[in-house]
Amino acid sequence: MYGWIWRHLPGNAWVKALISLVLALAVVYILFQYVFPWAEPLLPFNDVTVDNQ
Amino acid sequence: MNVAATTDDTAEQTDTPASPPERPRGTGPIATAVSLFGELLITAGLILGLFVVYSLWWTNVVADRTADKQADKVRNNWSKDKDTGPGALDTKDGIGFLHVPAMKNGEVLVEKGTGTDVLNDGVAGYYTDPVKAVLPTTGKTGNFTLAAHRDGHGAKFHNIDKLRKGDPIVFETKDKWYVYKVYDILPETSKYNVKTLAQIPVESGKKKAGHYITLTTCTPVYTSRYRYVVWGELVRVDKVDSARTPPKELR
Repeated sequence: MYGWIWRHLPGNAWVKALISLVLALAVVYILFQYVFPWAEPLLPFNDVTVDNQ
Repeated sequence: MNVAATTDDTAEQTDTPASPPERPRGTGPIATAVSLFGELLITAGLILGLFVVYSLWWTNVVADRTADKQADKVRNNWSKDKDTGPGALDTKDGIGFLHVPAMKNGEVLVEKGTGTDVLNDGVAGYYTDPVKAVLPTTGKTGNFTLAAHRDGHGAKFHNIDKLRKGDPIVFETKDKWYVYKVYDILPETSKYNVKTLAQIPVESGKKKAGHYITLTTCTPVYTSRYRYVVWGELVRVDKVDSARTPPKELR
């Protein structure tokens, strides 16, 4: 998977490394901004109230 | 430059067929599947690690930022209508600040409700459900019940276990300081134990109506298996002076 991505990136090794870094940062951004906030309430780590449910 | 590049390229090309361990397209389907599976596992591990970073660090950053902004707004509103006197209580932005010296986390803004939409802003919320909190500002007897996050999202009650009997809990409003004293702690209870929120918290040994405060959060740390409950009783109410001098418990 990662090998396939690496082979399909344009440019020489440095350019590829740079693009990879940008891609990785973009993935982290998407995770922190959208995926984790969505997933968090579905996981039982942060319920602080007592209730009847 | 160009020449160097070409020679490099040709050198690589001539190298490739010579080294057998290199596997361009000659890889079998099983090997490809196994390596893809391995990469997916590594990716899953990284994502889980990032989720921990997100929960324990990033949510705090975001929540503290929001809480600070909201706290500033409340303080601004208070100073703005200084001369209008105590008017209708504005519950939208927050009703006041909780100071718990034993938790060493400064002031915690208190807002209405205990839903995640409220608590995730790095504030403490007072209960509206299943048992409605009785706000100290009303002057009525009852229980001022609050909840906040133990970890992540500001983690405002992270150090709740540092509270001991006799420690002060001070609630600050626009014109009053409500000084409570901790008299009982329940280090672990079921999350369904709504009796802890009763207007007279019988579980803490109280039988008569009074002015109580109840702090709830989750325990043990980093989980939500049980609830940690701290009860306090109102000791006295101080008027806020023009310099907002805090009561002696906070000095």
